[in-house]
Amino acid sequence: MSQVLNIQNGKIVTVPEVATIEEIRDEIREVKTFYLSIDNKEIWNNFKYKSGQFIMCTIFGAGEFAVSLPPSPENDRFHITVRTVGKVTSALHGLKPGDKVGLRGPFGNGFPFEEFKGKNLVYVAGGIGLIPLRSSIVHALQHKKDFGRVLVLHGARTPDDLMYKENIKEWQSFEGFETYITVDAPTPDWKGETGFVHTLFDKANLPVENTIAFVCGPPVMFNTVIGELLKRGLPDENIYSTLERHMKCGIGKCQHCAVGRTLVCTDGPVYTYRQIKTLGEEI
Amino acid sequence: MTMFLIKKADVGNIAQELSREYQIYGPMIEKGSGQTFFDRAQDLAEINLSAPIPSNPPKSVVFPQMERILSYEYDRAKNAVKMEPDYKIEPRALVGLRPCDLAGILCLDRFFMGQEFVDEVYLNHRKKMFIVTNTCVAPFKQCFCVCTDSGPAAGEGYDLNLTDLGKECLVEVGSEKGTALAAKLALKPANDSHLAMKKEKVDKSIAMFEGIAVDSKAWISRVMNRVTTGFVKEDVWEYVGDQCFECGACTFVCPSCSCFNIADVNNPECAGCADRLRTWDSCSYEGYSRMAGGHNPRKPVEDRRNKRFFCKLSYSQMKKYLRPGCVGCGRCAWVCPGDIGLPNVVTYVRREITR
Amino acid sequence: MNQKPGVCTFCGTGCGHFIGTENNRITRVYPSQNHPIGKGRLCVRGWNIHELLDTPERIKKPLVRADGGFKESSYDDAVARLVDTLKKYPPESIGFLASPRSSNEEQYLLMKLARAAFKTNNISLDSDSGHRASLNVLHTGTGMAGMLGSVEEIRKSEFILVAGIDITRQNPIIGSEIHMAERAGAMVVTLDSRRTQIAKLSKKFLQVKPGANKLAILALAKTIYDENLSDAAFLRSHTEGFEKFRHAFGLLPDNEVSDRTGIPADEIKAVARDLAKARSAMVFFASGISGLDEDTIGYIYNLFLMAGKVGKEGCGVNPVAGLNNLQGGYDMGLAPDLLTGFQPLADVAAKKFSAEWKTDVPSSPGAPIYEMLSDRSSKLKALVVVDHDEGIVRYADAIGKLDFIAYIGAFKNAFADYAHVVLPIATYVQEDATFTNTERRIQFSMKKIEPEDGLLPGWKLYSMIAGKAGQSWKYAKVSDVMDEIARLTPAYAGVSHAKLSGAFGLQWPVDEKNPRGTKRFDVAKAGRKLSFYRVSDVFEMPAAKEQFPFLLMVGKAQHFWHQNNLMKKTHIPMREYNATLLDYPEGYVEICPQSAKEIGVRDHWPVRVVSPHGEMRVSARVSDDVKPYTAYAPYFVQEMISRFLLGHTEVLRQGEDATIPVRIEKV
Repeated sequence: MSQVLNIQNGKIVTVPEVATIEEIRDEIREVKTFYLSIDNKEIWNNFKYKSGQFIMCTIFGAGEFAVSLPPSPENDRFHITVRTVGKVTSALHGLKPGDKVGLRGPFGNGFPFEEFKGKNLVYVAGGIGLIPLRSSIVHALQHKKDFGRVLVLHGARTPDDLMYKENIKEWQSFEGFETYITVDAPTPDWKGETGFVHTLFDKANLPVENTIAFVCGPPVMFNTVIGELLKRGLPDENIYSTLERHMKCGIGKCQHCAVGRTLVCTDGPVYTYRQIKTLGEEI
Repeated sequence: MTMFLIKKADVGNIAQELSREYQIYGPMIEKGSGQTFFDRAQDLAEINLSAPIPSNPPKSVVFPQMERILSYEYDRAKNAVKMEPDYKIEPRALVGLRPCDLAGILCLDRFFMGQEFVDEVYLNHRKKMFIVTNTCVAPFKQCFCVCTDSGPAAGEGYDLNLTDLGKECLVEVGSEKGTALAAKLALKPANDSHLAMKKEKVDKSIAMFEGIAVDSKAWISRVMNRVTTGFVKEDVWEYVGDQCFECGACTFVCPSCSCFNIADVNNPECAGCADRLRTWDSCSYEGYSRMAGGHNPRKPVEDRRNKRFFCKLSYSQMKKYLRPGCVGCGRCAWVCPGDIGLPNVVTYVRREITR
Repeated sequence: MNQKPGVCTFCGTGCGHFIGTENNRITRVYPSQNHPIGKGRLCVRGWNIHELLDTPERIKKPLVRADGGFKESSYDDAVARLVDTLKKYPPESIGFLASPRSSNEEQYLLMKLARAAFKTNNISLDSDSGHRASLNVLHTGTGMAGMLGSVEEIRKSEFILVAGIDITRQNPIIGSEIHMAERAGAMVVTLDSRRTQIAKLSKKFLQVKPGANKLAILALAKTIYDENLSDAAFLRSHTEGFEKFRHAFGLLPDNEVSDRTGIPADEIKAVARDLAKARSAMVFFASGISGLDEDTIGYIYNLFLMAGKVGKEGCGVNPVAGLNNLQGGYDMGLAPDLLTGFQPLADVAAKKFSAEWKTDVPSSPGAPIYEMLSDRSSKLKALVVVDHDEGIVRYADAIGKLDFIAYIGAFKNAFADYAHVVLPIATYVQEDATFTNTERRIQFSMKKIEPEDGLLPGWKLYSMIAGKAGQSWKYAKVSDVMDEIARLTPAYAGVSHAKLSGAFGLQWPVDEKNPRGTKRFDVAKAGRKLSFYRVSDVFEMPAAKEQFPFLLMVGKAQHFWHQNNLMKKTHIPMREYNATLLDYPEGYVEICPQSAKEIGVRDHWPVRVVSPHGEMRVSARVSDDVKPYTAYAPYFVQEMISRFLLGHTEVLRQGEDATIPVRIEKV
């Protein structure tokens, strides 16, 4: 009975679906990736999402949290990558393969990929800001012929804080894919670039014409990078980001994620910088 | 529209008839304190249609202060999860609803059921409901519904609407359910002369509003314009924010405020069992927008206050409610320890405009 | 209707509320509109009290320690274990630590249990340096051991001084009344070292140097004296012993005022004139670790007495109790040297109690429990603790060394882990009860739901313990307990549950002369002269030194004070508390931007706070609310209580602003 009510427009809305943790992989300190599948096969087979969307994940006995979806919607193993930031995420980190969690979703708008065809794509990610961009990066990689240059610029505090190191290596090997990495606090054995992520722009010969930029990272990095992009002449409607907010329901009802006139869960989480500017709130 | 008359002495028959099918909720006066509550009647005689405006809006009937929306059990030994949604779906009749409170319910309806997603929990509360409104033939001290287009007479959304005409009550029918009930009660038909009497009553009621409310509807609409366009000076919000005690009362007593929190509560007597509770929440609380990890985009209290008045007073919110978010009941002014209920905030913003 | 009236128990204000229930569970709360204090208002805690009352974190079965763990037990067995153990010790080795949250009836019976059944006067609340200090001053001066004024009269006051209390956080609805009075034209003045919300809402804010409250009060009094502004007629006809105060005026030369208090001298003078010329004036303050000490309270009382602002309409020297039944606790005689209604123990009163109880009451005063716990040579061996907060962990070592501990309470509590016997009781909504708020208002709280199967309300449990200890208590219902209190306590003589129910309470004294209670102390009815309090001429202001240039204040932060055990069982108030604690998980020290710059730190950066007696590592919180070379730290963080503050026992005992000279270093 609840199943019928539970699903609206193909989305699991109120009562979570039980899912199993198939595998857990350590990423960096405090960050792990969890490979999941929904137990109900019929629902699992019909479970579709877009790059940039998120899900609500229940850890039984602890609560629920919102988390972005890093896998590409096509031919990518379903997973979430989570840093321990509070009680619920810590409880998730305590689970083992085989354990059950609950999933609701997918929610949010996602990236409008059809509008990006034929354009250069620039991904600028600070630290774990790479997690919500991963889906879109892999999608671009799977459809490389649809786009011009594709650049991934990733910066972190130390070499140990770089996300998805193996993925990045892999992406590098794809033709037409350019990846650049930097850290601001290098270790003695670090041989790569140092400095904040926007210092890579010149080296990467950053395209500006016909270019879409995706920016995600901590507020200070975000503001610096946006400033630099605008200075180089990228129009603000071509800069995309995904916002993070405290969320409880995911379906636009609890209002915790209200920002300006919009709700991050239904109007976002993907916003252009032009929208962000007019939200009238701190990011 | 179909209209009937009912003798004042027989008005109780409406609730009586409804009680065959519905749990009855209505205004009633608590004896010890003299406070009016809109609550479930244990005894129909408790319902008092001439009681002052209830201290609590009836939203708690459709959107309870605290309710279980889900119970689950994670049996670790079997590695199995049982999940039970936990919604109440008893048919309920709200009898003697004030027009402002009906407007509040309509806001909630449009918000919870009219957006991209339907809120099932709310839908279940609302599904089997009968609404009898009661025209306010005289305003109460705190009222300003004439400024927010929500009274003193209800316009739409009721099944039956009552207006006290003296010896008799005019009964206007607003739905098929209402027609059926009127038929069961075998009411005497009313005519246009009764409608004219109602208009006279309503006009008299409007004339009785105090100060601000009598002036004009523009009292609030000019402020709405300012709030929507963001042309309210920072220091007005700071002035308001300094006085905010962050108690949440304004949101809790507001007929249209709908923010909630969700928490999973473990049952210590059953390993793996927990209830998912949904409770009222308030944008005035610092923890409301704070994210795990510590970033809080809306930390200063004036930002949070600004948010609430934006919700009540901006045109962009009207898209959601198809009417202003404020229904003019005045309860927020009465419960606010900081003396920054909505009418005062409107006054502060207006003061700036007139300057 | 399903709304039952009661009293919010989250702080000493005593706002009225209605509790709604469904299937014997608490589901909602709503403010009481016509209640004389709340007038329809509640604070964040009050609005969410249903979350606490519905918590599954309850103690539901008696527990007895066995084989290193707890074993579920019956009341019979657990009570037998308690009584048998206590009987093995001489009375001086037994102690009772009462709770300022229990109802009057429960507090009274615990007091009776200690004295009548176990013959000990070692019974106390955790407020010997706190509220008791205020009561001592007011009782000596006027004979009334409670707030002289009334919350209802705040709006009748022309001048209101808020001294050293963050009142909009601690007792928000009293803060609201002051704010409303200010908006209606009253001269509200805040005296504090930190810019609190009430400071922002006041007409005048005197930002005093930490530890200099007493000097600031003296400066106010001295202005009134020097400028001949005191109410001479009032002084002549109603007061005595002005010389106990006058000597202090010589201690503060005019030219030192501004330097020693940090407040420009003419600002102080202007406030003194405001006070003198107002027709009515009130002062609000708190006592204890984050409030004022007895001597400072003596200065405040004397100031208001010489200004003629005592015992008239709109006047009041008003100590504010943070906990909901702290005032009731003293009224019920929860002190080693007091019986109910502040009747001294070694008096005819003891005989009266012996006669009513039909057993001898020991007549020599006992010792306060906290004093016994911090005294290594104390004889304390067995301790009974009722519903206590985790602040007690600062005595964890001493508690661990006791032979036997019993814990009595309704909610799970970390302290219960220390116990050998745990006895659950019903919550305050599961039995009729009365509570006495900070303005002496005795209020009736109606039973809302039935206790869980087999769970006893406090009064039945105490009767059962007394029975096993050989005393026969014959209370058929809880209202019988109040009848007994009324017989033994002059201030409560006219109180009964029947008289209190269906109304908003009565302020004591309630007796033949005042059948409807006593709104405020009335000089016309006092029947005695009001005496000035003997104050010291010592101003031991902790001075900042070169090595320790900061004056650190220790106090309460946000919505979290005293109630941590209860707050942790809610969702929203807990989240609000967490907003501070999660931002600064190791606690914080608040410094101004200028100080931060000098130390070389920013918000959230770790710092080391060093004093002559200890050090702690916390985060810096940079805020304009404190002045340069002043720092503020909330005292709820475990490490601070147990390590840092313990080295400052003197500070803890004195209470005077708990000011400690420290050095703050970048880590």
